[in-house]
Amino acid sequence: MPDGASTPVRIIAAKDIRDALRDRFILIVTGFLGIAALVALVTGAIALRGDVATYAAAKASLLALGKSADAIKAPEFYPLRLLRGAIEQTEIIGAAIAILIGYRSAASERGRQTLALMLTRPMLRWQFVAGKALAGISLLAGGLALVLGGLALLLHLMSGVGLTADDLLRIAVVWAMAVAYTACFFLVSFILSLHMKHPSHALLLAFAVWLVLVLVAPQIGDTLDPDNQVAGGVFKQLNIAKPDQTRIMQDFATFETLRDGIEQASVTKHFERFTFAVLGIKAKYAGLPLGPILQEMLGNLIWILLTALGLGALALALPLNPDRLAKA
Amino acid sequence: MGAASSASWLIARQSVRFVLRERTVALLSFMFVLLVLISAWLGWSATTTVNCIYLDAAAFLKSAGQPVPTNPVLDISPLSLLRNMSVYVALIGALSAIVIGNRLVSLDRKAGVLPLIGIRMAGHHAYAGGKITALTGLILGLAAVAGVVAVATFLVLPAITLTGMQWVQLAGFMAITTLYMAIFGLVGLASGATARSETVGLLLPVTLWLTLTFIFPQLTANLNPTAAINPISALTIPPDTSFFHWAARILGPFSLADAYKFAAAGLLDYLPPGLASPSFVPPVVSLTLAACVALTLAWRALTQLSMTEGEDNA
Repeated sequence: MPDGASTPVRIIAAKDIRDALRDRFILIVTGFLGIAALVALVTGAIALRGDVATYAAAKASLLALGKSADAIKAPEFYPLRLLRGAIEQTEIIGAAIAILIGYRSAASERGRQTLALMLTRPMLRWQFVAGKALAGISLLAGGLALVLGGLALLLHLMSGVGLTADDLLRIAVVWAMAVAYTACFFLVSFILSLHMKHPSHALLLAFAVWLVLVLVAPQIGDTLDPDNQVAGGVFKQLNIAKPDQTRIMQDFATFETLRDGIEQASVTKHFERFTFAVLGIKAKYAGLPLGPILQEMLGNLIWILLTALGLGALALALPLNPDRLAKA
Repeated sequence: MGAASSASWLIARQSVRFVLRERTVALLSFMFVLLVLISAWLGWSATTTVNCIYLDAAAFLKSAGQPVPTNPVLDISPLSLLRNMSVYVALIGALSAIVIGNRLVSLDRKAGVLPLIGIRMAGHHAYAGGKITALTGLILGLAAVAGVVAVATFLVLPAITLTGMQWVQLAGFMAITTLYMAIFGLVGLASGATARSETVGLLLPVTLWLTLTFIFPQLTANLNPTAAINPISALTIPPDTSFFHWAARILGPFSLADAYKFAAAGLLDYLPPGLASPSFVPPVVSLTLAACVALTLAWRALTQLSMTEGEDNA
């Protein structure tokens, strides 16, 4: 019985994946994300090399003057930190691509007028939706695996120190979270495109959601950060040490709660916090073992997974109305 | 000539009415207006908080017997309260303009009215003129709303007075904001007229927008995407390496999001001292040239639009 139930799901998913690979759309959008991520990695590496060269020159000058080089701080090198730009591109462009895949997945049957025909087949409607969603999320997973795999290979070859098994495990964890994160946007767009009268309106509405969750909410939180109001940071300009900063900020607890609340409302911020911790991009997690980091980031992980699962459940639960789904 | 211009006017009026009926355009325009209002609040709230932090820090430093530096808020021009508006224009303003440009043509294609317009005497030039006039009107409308919010912010907030020069700077900021949105609107118009389908017509300018907003700043200044949409973090000195020097030289004139960011920061007085656009072409010149190119593209696309086809194959 379970096999009987899953067969139409697999058939629809396999057909959708074949269709998507046949036209070049998936390759083009994956290529675009790959280029954006590659640019981020390469420019980050070039900037780091510049920092190292500046440090080496400053150190040589100090040593030539007979002074100690301890006064200047050596640039820290954690290869996975170079993935920061690529993660941010996945946050933004990856989510946009997921919206496009969700839209195409739903709109293709409507455009070809095949939806009503498919629903006359002996299968349950949830199987149709599940097959489509499975295909879309599999395509996203494949595209992200290609991009992150390519970046890992490049990082291994150009970092000079190579990647360890632990590094690869962290990249795999980030990939899994990136799939869950982009699946949220795929599902938003898929649900809207499947149920709204005009698919093009659904696409624009999905982009409006993307704007709010991916760009505006994190941007407002980031902008309200007092340290981002003054070039270089307000506390740095006032010469206030870290412990005193914490004490002063206690007086602004309500403001900070509001700021954090705006950021927390966005699944993007949870993805960013999780991945930045796992990859050691945030300084306090650099060099820490993966286990404790995952434990601390459990809240972010649950938030992302619950969002994806909730949207998945909604996609399956909403009744399809074939009369409404003519080409629009 | 008179007939063509009156036909243009007729097409422009009808197009504006047609587009304003679209709920998606209304939604994006509403979001734009809402974010412009939020940007004014953000500027006020963030500046007030920094001021309070300074007062706390000054009391603490005084009690510790340490020297108290000057209040950084005093160094901030009141115009910089609107710094977030430049980010929202670059995000949702540009996207709204793309959608408006796209809908101006795609609605005609979808409704199948192009053959009907094609049999009229006015011809392609009147159609192109009408569509560009409609786009200009709609974008001026959006910019006017942003301008009213900006002016109202400065009139309503207590203890803020702008000098005559600062009002001129604010007008300059609104002008380059209109120009920036017009560039994307014209590209949306051109793409909507040339693309095979409605969706492709929308995706091409969106891809261009993503590239200019999030990829070019990384190439010219190693600026990560989230920093690129923070008005303060986005203004940074590029790493001092030959790669970034050359990238800024070659890509700088085309990096429109960077150009808008530097022009806005200069006009709203939040450009850090000593920092300037790394491009050899001044930002306002880059934006003006880009608008001319976009206008040419839109004109060509609209005058070469086939008037024999009905509904597109979206």
